[in-house]
Amino acid sequence: METPENRNDQLAEDLRALRPTPHPQFAAELDKRAAAGFPRRSRPRRLSFSLPRRPSRRLLLPAGGLAVIAIVGVLVTTNESEQEPANGAAVLGLLNAESSPEDAPEAAGGAAGEPAPQIENYQGATEAAAAGNAASPLSFAGQGRPNRAVERNAELVLGADPADVADDSSKVFEAVHAHDGIVMSSSTREGEPGVAGARFVLLIPSAKLSDALAALSGVDEVRTRHEATDDITAPTVQTGELLQDSKARIDSLLAQLEATETESEREAVEGELAAERRHRARLRSQLQNLERRADYSRVLVRIETGGTHDSSGGAWGVDDALGDAGHILAIAAAIAVVSLAILGPIALIALLAWLTHRAWLRRERRRVLG
Amino acid sequence: MEQALVAEAREAPRTADLAFDRLYRSSRDDVYAYVASLLRDAAAAEEVTAAAFERAYRKRNRFDPERGEPRAWLFGIARNAALDELRRRGRHAELTAEPADLDSLGAEEGAERSERRLAVSAALERLGPGERELIALKFFAGLENREIARVLGISESNAGTKLHRAMTKLREACDGNA
Repeated sequence: METPENRNDQLAEDLRALRPTPHPQFAAELDKRAAAGFPRRSRPRRLSFSLPRRPSRRLLLPAGGLAVIAIVGVLVTTNESEQEPANGAAVLGLLNAESSPEDAPEAAGGAAGEPAPQIENYQGATEAAAAGNAASPLSFAGQGRPNRAVERNAELVLGADPADVADDSSKVFEAVHAHDGIVMSSSTREGEPGVAGARFVLLIPSAKLSDALAALSGVDEVRTRHEATDDITAPTVQTGELLQDSKARIDSLLAQLEATETESEREAVEGELAAERRHRARLRSQLQNLERRADYSRVLVRIETGGTHDSSGGAWGVDDALGDAGHILAIAAAIAVVSLAILGPIALIALLAWLTHRAWLRRERRRVLG
Repeated sequence: MEQALVAEAREAPRTADLAFDRLYRSSRDDVYAYVASLLRDAAAAEEVTAAAFERAYRKRNRFDPERGEPRAWLFGIARNAALDELRRRGRHAELTAEPADLDSLGAEEGAERSERRLAVSAALERLGPGERELIALKFFAGLENREIARVLGISESNAGTKLHRAMTKLREACDGNA
């Protein structure tokens, strides 16, 4: 008699008998692969044309890290290069402070004026004005060519052994003379590292400034080098115009002098003429000064011994090491913060994308089974 | 002491390899049978079975015994691989199966038995994919109910209930065929 239990057993037996079995050849191949530790197979290409392979996950992390480091590097470099003009302005201020007192107003005016473009094609328009030619310096500007008067300044700090300071100083003089420069002032001090050193204030023809700086940089180890420019076109042109006006006024006074009939009139005109001539002399001096600033670049060269930091005044020590360590830690912290700011949102997006993909995959798998 | 620890550390991968080897040998045909019943395509079943073992081999060190039996873990991987394959091919489990291999039923077996098994095979076709999967896990792969529950992500009692319903439905379908 057939009972439900018998029927169940029979059904189970029938089901087991229907069990699909692997082909012996496939089983043998799989056994072989299992014994070899399942070496990776090259998957058949689904497309006839080759597509770039997706980067593996192992490569994604280092690549992402490198990208972040590159971005941070670019940011830091950009930041530093943005700070350069500020340093240049500081040098300019330093050098202007060393200028003669009568230069100060022009220097101040130049610094407060328009940003200084690096165009240096000033063609002596003011010389014509100074010589009394009819052509105005402004007329040069109207010819469509850049006529700018640019003052250039530079500061160079060289590091040397105390024993080499004298030799280096000689080389500085040689370099200056080789480039038709002028040594405005110099001082040399011998002694211990940090004490020994030298300082030079130089005037170098602007046209030869680059060559001269290259030669000076070759004297010894360059610790710092700053260059700055200042556009002094406006005060130069203005002074030239005032000079022309002054000449016209003198001509007019001379004509008046010829026409005087009384002694008192003559004395009055002569007094005005003398005053105007003094005024013209001042203007001419002022103009020559401006021209000299454009034609000659002021260069400050310092030869230092001992540590590389000006503030230390001696050899590199524990304080410097602590300072450097703090600086490095600050940079590392800044990089970490920037990296976190970049990687945090990316990681969050990646996590959300992964979770979404996982949920979608589960839903799709359920859907496959109806 | 230190040498013993080093030796133990060296032994660890070997232990995992040996355990996996045992799992492979005991489950190769079962995994194939289960995957073939899902895909109903011998060539695809071979491909997916190989891929499932390969995937399991690569993950063997990540297997956590506290989360279930090795066989349940392996069949979970095989199930995902098979479902992914079905999804990729845009095919559903409802698609027509390959014709049953009548030779495999055995010529020496009685005509009545062969006829009965053909009826069971036809009845299986009429079941839903989920029910067919349950029966495949139970009778083709030989899993226990708790292992089936682990593979499907349901409770053991739920797995037992579902399996009972599937068997009842299959029996009714067999009776209908008869």
